Amino acid sequence: MPSILSLIQNENMKIYRRIGTWFMIALLALSTLAGALITKATHKEPKNWKAEVASEIKEMEAQLSEEKVPKMYKNHLEQQLKINEYRLEHNIKPVASNTFWGYLVSSADIIALITLFTIIVAAGSVANEFSWGTIKLLLIRSASRTKILLSKYIAALLFALCMLLLLFVFSSVVGAIVFGIENIREPYLAYQNGTVVEKSMLLHVMQVYALNCVDLVMMTTFAFMISAVFRNHSLAVGLATFALFAGPQITTLLAMKFDWAKYLLFANTDLTQYIDGTPLVEGMTMPFSMMMLLIYFVIFNALTWFIFRKRDIAA
Amino acid sequence: MNPLLQLKNVRKDIGKKTIIHDLSLEVFPGEVFGFLGPNGAGKTTTIRMIVGLMGITSGDVLINGISIQKDFEKAIQHVGAIVENPEMYKFLTGYQNLLHYARMTKGVTKERIDEVVKLVGLEKRIHDKVKTYSLGMRQRLGLAQALLHRPSLLILDEPTNGLDPAGIREIRDYLRKLAKEEGLGIIVSSHLLSEMEMMCDRFAIIQHGRLVGIESVQELSKQAQKVLLTVKPVEQALTVIKNIYPHMNITSAKQGIEVSIDYEEIPSLNAALVSENIKVYGIQVLTKSLEERFLEMTGGNEIA
Ligand SMILES: Nc1ncnc2c1ncn2[C@@H]1O[C@H](COP(=O)(O)OP(=O)(O)OP(=O)(O)O)[C@@H](O)[C@H]1O
Ligand SMILES: [Mg+2]
Repeated sequence: MPSILSLIQNENMKIYRRIGTWFMIALLALSTLAGALITKATHKEPKNWKAEVASEIKEMEAQLSEEKVPKMYKNHLEQQLKINEYRLEHNIKPVASNTFWGYLVSSADIIALITLFTIIVAAGSVANEFSWGTIKLLLIRSASRTKILLSKYIAALLFALCMLLLLFVFSSVVGAIVFGIENIREPYLAYQNGTVVEKSMLLHVMQVYALNCVDLVMMTTFAFMISAVFRNHSLAVGLATFALFAGPQITTLLAMKFDWAKYLLFANTDLTQYIDGTPLVEGMTMPFSMMMLLIYFVIFNALTWFIFRKRDIAA
Repeated sequence: MNPLLQLKNVRKDIGKKTIIHDLSLEVFPGEVFGFLGPNGAGKTTTIRMIVGLMGITSGDVLINGISIQKDFEKAIQHVGAIVENPEMYKFLTGYQNLLHYARMTKGVTKERIDEVVKLVGLEKRIHDKVKTYSLGMRQRLGLAQALLHRPSLLILDEPTNGLDPAGIREIRDYLRKLAKEEGLGIIVSSHLLSEMEMMCDRFAIIQHGRLVGIESVQELSKQAQKVLLTVKPVEQALTVIKNIYPHMNITSAKQGIEVSIDYEEIPSLNAALVSENIKVYGIQVLTKSLEERFLEMTGGNEIA
């Protein structure tokens, strides 16, 4: 019986020996470069950042003094206010997008692209075996279907991890070259237990990356499921991509009218709503979202496994 | 001898249709077993069930006595197979394809891969991408992946499809050698009946998902048959034969007289002719070809 490691090794070979994969990596590198150049070209340096922060503070104070501010939003405003005051006090400039760290934080947006790529890879790793007819020779070895499926899932997640690392490396290099590293010692200001604290910027970037990966993992799992159920690559990629881009909007619209929208997957994928924003539906909390994500995750995977294990292979 | 493969009342329903009806057969070590049947008879479906690609509606398949349904991983360990066309990863080289399958079984070394490559005669092209292969080359690569882990049961669905005459001959000789020398049990399905006749020890003929008959090659040559007699003078011989076998179907052809007669009765017919001073130059047994037998059993060219 083969070890799961050699099965993963096989899946990796099938991912990285394909030209399409290298095309994706090239596209990723290109996006980081384009992102940096566009930022550099369009960024307008504020004349006096202190004046801007001060006016922001005034605005927040005005909002806070109003009567019916939702409680969650009020907390958020208060935190921002404290952080801004701290900036003026300690002379710490806000992180501009045309600095090394600012660019690195915004590079997390490119994770959407990685999500798309991972969806393509994950959906392909199951559906392509069917359309190529190779599934037959794959499943007549002494490896259970469960093990084969698991190796494919792990290989897809490893691919995502690899792309994330590449994104981080690419953007660090591009950021350093395009924006320089003079401000590399800049701290990240966070609000903890009633006080403002200075934290490592690197940790902050990693946190932003991690939060952006929720979509990545959930949509990859979703695409994996669709491709195991329908054995069709385009369908799986199409559905997952559509869900990825249209899902949040539709959910937001629904959330305005219906409370039950909070049980939808996309109401819970954006965990930043609890860190520097307001929850989509009043009463939602971080543990609630974590729980919902876990439930969806388990359902997707269980369905994939159940169907793949039982299916007659007639390809 | 214990059978390598046992099918016990295997049945397959897809939807409301029964595709395989309670099929039972056994394959022993050291034999090449032909699996024949017209298009749509259920050969591929049966093979898919044997290797666990399809579920079995009722009945069981035992490989080395182990049920494929209850302990798939253990039962499939000693099976090598090609199911329909040998589809490979086209963007990988032949060698990478073999490496892929080698990793899926413990104990397949690099040397073994080289050995198998040589055996199927792909040394020159093994490091080329499979998308540049011809059908016959892919068929050879398919055979290579099936042999990689030294299986004791080899299941080949139309392995000679796409091979050139020399290739067919090579594969045939090789399969016979594997069976005789290494005691493998080999199941081969094919449409090429003359091919099968040369390759196999026994046949199962199936039609509409039912077993029509199992026969061995020896039996085939002993069945009721025609005998061609080269005699002189012909007229006198005809009278003699008509006297002994009044109801026999006799045709006199250019080469001689053709009679339908049991194998066991040939000597006595000969004796009768000789005692009447007829010169017997030759007695040729016209064995029924597998093709004739096949058409007889399946009732011609009928597709399920
Ligand atoms: N997935 C399926 N759903 C419904 N019917 C099927 C399915 N697969 C096969 N069949 C039917 O089962 C029967 C047997 O098909 P099978 O492929 O086993 O035939 P075969 O003997 O291998 O034929 P051939 O000589 O053409 O390869 C056919 O009538 C076919 O239509
Ligand atoms: Mg077939």
